[in-house]
Amino acid sequence: MSAPVIEFAGAVKVYGQKKIGPVEFYVDRGEIFGFLGPNGSGKTTCIRMLLGLARPSAGKVRLRGVDPLRKHAEALTSVGYSPELPNIQTFMSPREVLRLAAAEIGLKVGIQTEVDRVLEDVGILQYGDTKVGKLSKGMVQRLSVAQAMIGSPQTLVLDEPMIGLDPAGTAHLRETFREFARNGGTILMSSHMMSEVEDLCSSVGLIHSGKLLFRGTAGDMVGQVLGGDLVHVEARGLSAGTIEALHKIDGVIGIEAISGGVEIKVKHGVEARPAIARMITESGAELLTIRTGERLLEKAYIEALRSGGSKAE
Amino acid sequence: MVVFIALLDTVPYYIFATSGSSLIPPSVYPYVWIAGILAPFTLFIQFVAILVAAGAMSEEYEAGTAELLLAKPVSRAEFFVGKFLGGYLLLSLLILLNGLLSTVAATAFFGAQADLATLPVVVLVEIYSSALFFSVAFMLGELVRRSSLAYILSSALIVASQIVGTYLSIAYELTGNTFYSTIHTYLPTTLAGSLPPQYEQSVLPSVAGRIFELLLGPASGVPSEAVAAFLVGVYFVVAVSIALAYFSWADVSRRVS
Repeated sequence: MSAPVIEFAGAVKVYGQKKIGPVEFYVDRGEIFGFLGPNGSGKTTCIRMLLGLARPSAGKVRLRGVDPLRKHAEALTSVGYSPELPNIQTFMSPREVLRLAAAEIGLKVGIQTEVDRVLEDVGILQYGDTKVGKLSKGMVQRLSVAQAMIGSPQTLVLDEPMIGLDPAGTAHLRETFREFARNGGTILMSSHMMSEVEDLCSSVGLIHSGKLLFRGTAGDMVGQVLGGDLVHVEARGLSAGTIEALHKIDGVIGIEAISGGVEIKVKHGVEARPAIARMITESGAELLTIRTGERLLEKAYIEALRSGGSKAE
Repeated sequence: MVVFIALLDTVPYYIFATSGSSLIPPSVYPYVWIAGILAPFTLFIQFVAILVAAGAMSEEYEAGTAELLLAKPVSRAEFFVGKFLGGYLLLSLLILLNGLLSTVAATAFFGAQADLATLPVVVLVEIYSSALFFSVAFMLGELVRRSSLAYILSSALIVASQIVGTYLSIAYELTGNTFYSTIHTYLPTTLAGSLPPQYEQSVLPSVAGRIFELLLGPASGVPSEAVAAFLVGVYFVVAVSIALAYFSWADVSRRVS
């Protein structure tokens, strides 16, 4: 088995009184890893250690199997980075920015084609010659992602890549990232947009107060933190007896009354909706909708932070 | 900066040629070009050096471009050397421009100039001497990572060195105590400012001597050419070593929001 593309091995960073870590996780080739955590939790610090911009106080960080501090150029070869605050010169056009980025990574031939390819990938080809200062925040964010993607890197490190994007821009980048991963690329992205992470990422990591609380799939995190999946039921005429009877369905852990129906917690991975629907209709109540809970990752995230991390560990 | 250098190199010649030419003996006319090269060097070019150097690294941190560039397969050594040499090349071109403009202006206002064969070497000596304040300001820019603070600290160093130098000269003149002149020898402004005039003084005829007396001031407390060149090199090596060591060890600063 090949070494992980990204590896944190007990990495610690100490800033005065503040300590991040020890952080221990890895990201394999082809994964889209969502790095979650509240502001100031240490996500950006971990990203900076990964890119060799910050020196770990203890432990090791490896990028493509290489220490990014000792062999910086080797580790960063074929790695693209989009920072949280795009640091792009406003007097340049996107094409000029990308030509410069291509030169910085040593691209010598086919630069124009490559520049147009990444502009198209992020959906701003038509703005290629507009000065960056005249672009919207979302366009600049897409340009930041484009400069990370120049030269067809194998790994993308993206700090809040969806920030400031409109829905169309978000959808466009989502597809671009999926295509990138389908082609064997690896992505580590930090984000506060839980719905995006849930939809896009094949695995997630949750960091809080400098400690990595969880690493696994979004579904696993939901299961671990919330204790199961949620099923939303909207129904008219649900009696107390029916609700009590729902408890007996295999896999049902708990039931909470909500406006217009009930929210049923079921064991992670158990499909209990057919049995629930059957029981409700047989009770004589009118079933309006039944669906798995939405924004579960967001709920799990909030619950994990509310519990001080204990539920995620 | 280029416009300012152009004005500095032409306006004084124009003023002296039109209203103050009687102050200058005609025998000195063929050598007035040297005044335009050396006079700005004692202070103005030193400020140009710190203006270029203090922001070379710090402005990259402030704009966040250092973070972006160093997240690419670019080694820290390449980045450091690139920033240093880029800034130093710019400064060298400005010194060269100063030399060319003052020579042209001197020729235009005072007629044909003599011994211009020494011009390339004196420009090179100025470029070498300017490395002192350039490297110190570069180091301060890297250490404090804020361009405005680096400018202030570097400027304060120049001004303080100049003032201390004046007091030491006065103290020496009044007491004759060589301690004062020895200290004066090691001041950065003394070292950086004395090397080019000393070189020209050694190669130009004595008729140009009055110009050097005015530029150099009292001969006391001025190191020999060899000592000055060596000490400029020491300042350079120490400052660049400190900057490089700190740059290699410290985290890359984040953008100033």
